[in-house]
Amino acid sequence: MAEKEKSAQIKQRNLSKIIRPIFGALVAAYVLWRLYTVFIVEAKYGPQVWVSLLVSGLIIGAVYSLIAIGYTLVYGILLMINFAHGELMMVGTYAGYFVFEAAQAIKMPNATDPELVFANAYPVLTIFLAFIVGMGVAAAVGYFLEKIAYRPLRGAPRLIPLISAIGASYVLQNISLLLFSPQLRNYDNPEALSRGDGWKLIVNDLPVNIPYTGVFTLVLSVILMLILLYIVKNTRLGKSMRAVAMDKDTAALMGINVNQTISNTFIISGLLAGAAGVMWGLHNAQVYNTVGFIPGIKAFTAAVFGGIGNIGGAMIGGMVIGMIESIGPTALGISYQLKDVIAFAILISVLIFKPSGILGEVLAEEKV
Amino acid sequence: MKNQQTRDILKKGLVFAIIIIFIMAIGFHEIAAALISRIFSVDVKRGSIPEVRFMMYFMGLFAFLTGWANSDKREGAFLKKSTHGLLVSVVAGIFVVLFDLILVFLVNNEIDIREYLTAFSLDSMNFFLFNKGQLGLLYHFAYFVIFGFSGSTLNVLLSSESAQNLKEKTGKLYNATKEKINSAMPPFLKKYGKYFFLLLLAAAAIILPRTWGSYVNFVVGLVGLYVIAGVGLNIIVGLSGQLVLGYAAFFAMGAYSVALLNAAEPHNIMLGFWPSVLIAILMAIVAGLLLGLPLMGLRGDYLAIVTLGFGEIIRILLKSDLLTGFTGGPRGIHDIQGPTLFGQPFNSDVEYVYIIFACIALTIFIYNRLQNSRTGRAWLSIKEDAIAAQATGVNLQKYKLLALCIGAAFAGLVGGISAARNQFTGPNDHSLLVSMNVLSLVIVGGVNSIPGIILGAFTLKGLPEILREVENYRQLAFGILLIVMMIIRPNGLWPSSRPLYEKYNCPEDGEKNVGKERKND
Repeated sequence: MAEKEKSAQIKQRNLSKIIRPIFGALVAAYVLWRLYTVFIVEAKYGPQVWVSLLVSGLIIGAVYSLIAIGYTLVYGILLMINFAHGELMMVGTYAGYFVFEAAQAIKMPNATDPELVFANAYPVLTIFLAFIVGMGVAAAVGYFLEKIAYRPLRGAPRLIPLISAIGASYVLQNISLLLFSPQLRNYDNPEALSRGDGWKLIVNDLPVNIPYTGVFTLVLSVILMLILLYIVKNTRLGKSMRAVAMDKDTAALMGINVNQTISNTFIISGLLAGAAGVMWGLHNAQVYNTVGFIPGIKAFTAAVFGGIGNIGGAMIGGMVIGMIESIGPTALGISYQLKDVIAFAILISVLIFKPSGILGEVLAEEKV
Repeated sequence: MKNQQTRDILKKGLVFAIIIIFIMAIGFHEIAAALISRIFSVDVKRGSIPEVRFMMYFMGLFAFLTGWANSDKREGAFLKKSTHGLLVSVVAGIFVVLFDLILVFLVNNEIDIREYLTAFSLDSMNFFLFNKGQLGLLYHFAYFVIFGFSGSTLNVLLSSESAQNLKEKTGKLYNATKEKINSAMPPFLKKYGKYFFLLLLAAAAIILPRTWGSYVNFVVGLVGLYVIAGVGLNIIVGLSGQLVLGYAAFFAMGAYSVALLNAAEPHNIMLGFWPSVLIAILMAIVAGLLLGLPLMGLRGDYLAIVTLGFGEIIRILLKSDLLTGFTGGPRGIHDIQGPTLFGQPFNSDVEYVYIIFACIALTIFIYNRLQNSRTGRAWLSIKEDAIAAQATGVNLQKYKLLALCIGAAFAGLVGGISAARNQFTGPNDHSLLVSMNVLSLVIVGGVNSIPGIILGAFTLKGLPEILREVENYRQLAFGILLIVMMIIRPNGLWPSSRPLYEKYNCPEDGEKNVGKERKND
């Protein structure tokens, strides 16, 4: 009897051991075959195409990184997927949109230009204001989100806050649907940062457009990430965040206000998501009520890819996911409609083959 | 002490003011008034604004609830208790009046901000102010004072000692009558009452659909399909404790199997409904197996996200140009042939209701058998504590996979039936929204509880069909329900009896502790 069970168990283990490599080999074979076809058999794209795809991948990757950091911070501390995190980005996008609309509506006629509006008269101030408002509103929503939907559930089994988070995501999406209507809106950028304009980089005698909005996005997100790293590594706030992530009870015994620290974490992740939202709006123009959903999922993929709980991992993961998503459809020679499929496929593959991510998870041992 | 009380009152007042302002901002006040007007059997045409008096009723009701919810039930003088609610209500009234000032400004200058905030049309804003312009301000404040005070007072009165006594007495009376009826029942009825009840239910299920109209049958069929789906998902989420967010992918498997095998376009196979439903179930099981095999070892929350990704992949693939030749692409598949029985084609909602009822009966039977079997106990043990279950010899991977596959099979069945019933299936029938709906109805109704799932399906799918006005607010209500249920009733509206049974009836405690909760839990 025991023998029989033992052999059955061994069979079971072998089954899962066999299936993963088969699955991996299939995926790898498919990718290699497509790469071979596109690069060697067809070879119809010059380097300028790849450079421009790489640039757009870097830009979108920067946005993903900012969102992914929010996921990683919250997961590191509460061990829950903040499913509504993408919606914080959506809130930030809407807030920024309204600031730009207001700035375009305020007329400031002067001698040379009677049609001058505030947004074009003070572009730097307008953009600054948009980021402040977008980040502020997203942070406030994040703060209240934690207070209303997550705090009463602390200590509950792990799926319960996740369900609550799904509910919160629904609520935020539908509130914005009911408030702002399902209409698709376009960001009205100041002239200094209008979409499409950019530097021309000559590659292989052909111009590659590097949009100003993209460079702005990339630079700003790198600055924000550096600030975040400084905060987490060197300040009292960061120290308390790391302590709470390691062990809540001990941290509380050491005189750290755990609730306050968790609130702060949500505020920080909200700030980053809000900034990402305004960047998204500046670069991609469109605002609608589910704008945060797909970037949210991709950013989560990025966070897992980099190793959840690991801030550096989230940054790198975001960039990598952005670039794969941008280059992927062309490099594999498949329809651009399927770019979301690539992101989801990466998510599934990462979770099958390396659930701890490339840089490794940073979670307290007992909690995993 | 005093300071804290003031802060408390201010905070609560602000919260209630924000709620009512928010209701106005999403335009729900019109809907609420329309619903109230229905109670008074005054019909409101779609898109038009109801009579003002119903808005007044709504405002009165809200103010009453504000007072009711905030009356202070702690020790103290009677007046002191009820003033607490009044003060909160007054604070809420002040904030609402401040909001009204903005509205009055907008209405008087005829500034329409609908482009940015959809609900703020001039009519709608005026309706919120009872069509009285500036006077609406005073009305609102008066409402909050009067109804807030009455709500608060009534709550205090009801929670006072004499009222409590009355409540206890009625409760005792109720129990006594229940016991009397129980003891008066003849013994054969007690023994066979269950079967008798089932027989009655079956008779009702056969006769009733004939008497309903076609619309009612449509709604009942829809609710029934969601009941089957809910029970299927419950096997995965409730019994084995794995959160799956891509349940709609299995629907898609079933629906497309039936559709491709029974439609003139794109393949014209025309296999017939019954064999293709079996294939649909099989396909869903295969999908569950393929998804589950590599992923069963994952942490619960990761599994949730992966299945979500899987669902989206299936939907995007069905929608893309890549498979248009095979699955009809974004347009979906039309004119799916329905089932035939003894040469008689099914073409009305009544006949589908019969199929659905039969499937529900089958589903519930299978579910009950499973739940009480060795497998069901293995699932529950995995859900409670995976490591302990493994230590006692439960093969985690096998049982998790089994749960996923059985749940998927039910989804395939539902997908197949609904494709034939609607004579259409398309990629948007299988969006994330469907998965979320099923998940919400299981959780809201009650995990692991069949009556709960039926109740949840009716509340979340049937009720909005009947109350057409609230359609736009359905998703918002889902979200709010999910959060609120998790916080106040994580076991659902109609919780299952099993955990209680285990808590109260532990065999090792012997007879003496039956009916008493263990202290050391």
